[in-house]
Amino acid sequence: MYGKKGSELVKELASSEPGQLSAFNNDLFAQVIDECTGHLHHLGSLIRKIEELKKIEEIKKLNNQELEESEKQLLKAHNSGALIHHLSLLRNKRCLMAYVYNRAETIRSLGWAVERVLPEEIEEKLSGSEKEYFKNHAASLQSYMSELDLDLAVDMVPPKDPYIKVRVLEDIGNVLLSDQSANLARHAILFLRRTDAEQYISQAIFTLMLW
Amino acid sequence: MANYYDIDDVLAEEEILPVVFQQAADCFGLLDSSDDTNEVEAGAKAELPFWLARDLHVRGVVAVDVPPYFRKVSRTRKEIEADAAHVDLRGRCQYFYELGLKIAPLVGDKTIGPFLLVAFQTRYKEVLVRAHTAASAVAPKHLTLLTNEEAKLYEAGQLSTAAFKKWRMGGPRLQRAPVLGRKRKPIE
Repeated sequence: MYGKKGSELVKELASSEPGQLSAFNNDLFAQVIDECTGHLHHLGSLIRKIEELKKIEEIKKLNNQELEESEKQLLKAHNSGALIHHLSLLRNKRCLMAYVYNRAETIRSLGWAVERVLPEEIEEKLSGSEKEYFKNHAASLQSYMSELDLDLAVDMVPPKDPYIKVRVLEDIGNVLLSDQSANLARHAILFLRRTDAEQYISQAIFTLMLW
Repeated sequence: MANYYDIDDVLAEEEILPVVFQQAADCFGLLDSSDDTNEVEAGAKAELPFWLARDLHVRGVVAVDVPPYFRKVSRTRKEIEADAAHVDLRGRCQYFYELGLKIAPLVGDKTIGPFLLVAFQTRYKEVLVRAHTAASAVAPKHLTLLTNEEAKLYEAGQLSTAAFKKWRMGGPRLQRAPVLGRKRKPIE
């Protein structure tokens, strides 16, 4: 059936959890593109046949003749065949575009959540051009923020207390924070400035502790 | 027209419709792989996805037949009239409303619109009540009866209840980014 693979690709997108990325399906993607090439090939040959028939028609017109009934039928059949291939091409294109576009949307939202560096388990799910896209998007976000001199990724609600208590989930050693240098050993409980802690929480290195 | 990139719209147009060919078409053998000929005769019956059937119908290559669940006299209509909330619409068509909206102008059946409206109105009330009162996040049996559009509404209802609770009780403002996945590393 025409267009089946394209819809499979989109279905995969629909069944994944919203906001989560699954691995880029290179295999299926290439198969859909192959199908498109096939359609283009058929379309080309059909259009050639149609043009031949039209030429015959014109020649016959000059001699005050009409196409024979069987030729008319053939012309119609070719026309509808060409239409079918054309529609299938459009459909496959839409499926591919929807797949790429919706992934790009998720990738853009990544730029807000994790800033410049992608965690490994996400990076391996992206295709080459998507990695490039993320890098450029994150860079333009960063340059915009530095131009404004404002970190737009912080929480919108002003905190009641500038300091919060967090627990460290991963060993990352000594880190220089804005007001102190802290040793981020695992399970350490720290009292940090909220602005420092926020990015670590969104990267799941810290967890917030309630009082 | 819906967004070109909208996943649900793309999938809704994948739904299969019964059609009858009005004229022969060339190079069509790929549709059912069982025959090798490249032609479909006029008068042949086939099942085509909506995206293909629509334009072929407009150009008079095929005539679209209304799927059984939209016909004027059908079991689905009777069931909807009797007790709309407990009809398994998902089993009939995952995008029942979307497809209905698309197909009504195509076949010129004026009764489809009111029928969809009645079905949606009665079912919506039920969906909303269940979404707001559902105790846990475990998908209840009821969910298997809903079409995709209704399932989305159900989820939205649940989310808004959760958001309301969080607002009232005061939940944590800072959380790990949801894109990183829900799985936690095992604590040793």
